[in-house]
Amino acid sequence: MLKTAFLEALQSGLAGLPQQDIEERLAFYGEMIDDRMEEGLSEEEAVEAIGPVDRVINEIVAQTPLTKIVKERIKPKRSLRAWEILLLILGFPLWFPLMIVAFVLILVFYVVLWILVICLWAVELVLWAAALFGLVATVLYMLHGYVAFGVVLLGAALTLIGLSILLFFGCKAASVGTAKLARSIVRGIKRLFVGKEKAR
Amino acid sequence: MDAQLKRGLLDVCVLAAIKNEDSYGYKIIKDMKPYLEMSESTLYTILKRLEAASMLTVRSAEHEGRLRKYYHITDAGLKRIEAFRAEWKEVISIYQFVTKGDGEHA
Repeated sequence: MLKTAFLEALQSGLAGLPQQDIEERLAFYGEMIDDRMEEGLSEEEAVEAIGPVDRVINEIVAQTPLTKIVKERIKPKRSLRAWEILLLILGFPLWFPLMIVAFVLILVFYVVLWILVICLWAVELVLWAAALFGLVATVLYMLHGYVAFGVVLLGAALTLIGLSILLFFGCKAASVGTAKLARSIVRGIKRLFVGKEKAR
Repeated sequence: MDAQLKRGLLDVCVLAAIKNEDSYGYKIIKDMKPYLEMSESTLYTILKRLEAASMLTVRSAEHEGRLRKYYHITDAGLKRIEAFRAEWKEVISIYQFVTKGDGEHA
């Protein structure tokens, strides 16, 4: 791949980011390629040293905050005409609730994503509480002479402790997994906004 | 190396690469390569972050008929390196604690 092809692919891959960001990135990678060529690499080798353009685009998108991408997306490309502003104001009762609904939907989706993890931790907490309660009750029963009942309770409490230790690892794995999933969803959303359309 | 640890070190390494003389993107990557490998896009993000934190300034200068960006360390950047040296003494004492007695079991 030659330098111009690399930079063109990069430009269309980043379409959707702020124009100034794209230009700075293009200048940065262009300079990197030029400097490598100056050191004696051929144009193809210099481009190859940067890495596959898709990986570069992915890295850049991952490093760009989602808010910046969305802001750029909803920003009007030109100044609004008078009737458009009027329409925006008149349409406020319509689009404002819709916007709130969209935000709530996103929030709900996020809560649903985490609900399994929250439930697991809640069960873990309850197991620990029950085990603790069992141990206290064991001591109380034993002190009052109900030895057999105390032993049964002690067994139950120890079983609960064992279960909660096992569940702890499950909880941890579920938390890590969900965090990973959430991250990849954000990455997916970003890719929806960036690079689909060809360079304007 | 652990990603978390590496991230903390990258900023200081980039500052160190421009400490003695102004440098440019490719040279920074080349100078750091024996110690820490990083991609161009990582360097870009770090340079942006350091510039926003006023730890370096950027100027464009002509080189071989094209423009090249040079990065210059500021006093705040030099202070960051100094702070790192102070922090590092603590890290070394922790390292000594972690590896204490390693030789005795051999």
